[in-house]
Amino acid sequence: MECNQARPLIPSYLDGELSEARAAPLRRHLLDCQPCRAGAQGEKNLKRWFAAGVPVEVPKGFAARVARRAFAGDTGEAVVEIVPAVGAALGARPLPVRGEDRLLRFVLQATAAAALVVIALSVALRSLSLPSGTSLQAADSRNEISVDRALERLDQLNRQEARGDRTHPETTPVKGRRP
Amino acid sequence: MEPAQAEDENLVQETLAGGQTSFQLLVERYQDRIFALARHYTRNPVEVEDLVQDTFLKAFSHLDTFQGQSSFFTWLYRIAVNTILDGMKRRGRSPVRAVEDPEALATPGPTRMSGPSADMEREEIARITHAVLAELPEIFRAVLVMREFEELSYQQMADVLQISIGTVESRLFRARAKFKDKLLQRHPEFGQE
Repeated sequence: MECNQARPLIPSYLDGELSEARAAPLRRHLLDCQPCRAGAQGEKNLKRWFAAGVPVEVPKGFAARVARRAFAGDTGEAVVEIVPAVGAALGARPLPVRGEDRLLRFVLQATAAAALVVIALSVALRSLSLPSGTSLQAADSRNEISVDRALERLDQLNRQEARGDRTHPETTPVKGRRP
Repeated sequence: MEPAQAEDENLVQETLAGGQTSFQLLVERYQDRIFALARHYTRNPVEVEDLVQDTFLKAFSHLDTFQGQSSFFTWLYRIAVNTILDGMKRRGRSPVRAVEDPEALATPGPTRMSGPSADMEREEIARITHAVLAELPEIFRAVLVMREFEELSYQQMADVLQISIGTVESRLFRARAKFKDKLLQRHPEFGQE
């Protein structure tokens, strides 16, 4: 056996996966070939990196929980949660919340909360832009007059109009505004 | 058929007949190994539990397709590998890092490596090993995990991955060479001339 034939077989040999028919010539080669023996030692060294497995902790009651869910109809593939009211009408029970369901629920709740904030802000902004108090403010001129004064002026205009007095500059009727 | 395998098949039949306790026993038999497998892909305990749970729930929902041609463990392990890889992709953490021809055989370089030094803590060795594994293309990581940690035989690996034993052999050979290269890139102090 040549080195280039022996080298690829060494890992399988160390794994105990070579048939005797393939292992025997490799063993003979390793006895005669120092570089391939060193290669075999390197493979053994490599395996030592995998010897330090981390102990696994299975959550308590895991098997019972999974069995319950399996018999409750959870297939491990559905993400959609049955809405209780609709589910009850269909005779189905709501599925317990899984990891993905929890994420979906969180996203939906966050979206709903964001929508509520936007609505609240828009109402607040609208109330700020509406006139309030006892004064009126013209948006274009920013001249402020009191409500009482405005009503008095309107009465005055109405009286003048009723008298047919159209000479006063302030009495020029505005189209479409006449009662 | 081995006794353990016969017991598995009995439990499968009892589960299919409506035995919840039998399914629970099946889960208890293999939960450690599936948890160990999932932990090689994510260290987040919640994700690990979700992935293992999904594996068993999928196995249950497809239990009637288990034909007994391979062992129940091999059948379950195949579901686990697919569930874990799908789950990682869904979470946006695709473990596939590189596109390579996994069957292309390359002779490893002449550099040899030493094992972990005697004074290294177990956790430190595990941390380095997992960091290196995380850099490997999934196709190589899977075979190393199955062989080195789970100690699956070549035949079991071939059944799980649905490839030939020769392909398992060549893929493992290449995976080990890759692991060695990556480890020496990160830790040249473990190289030997």
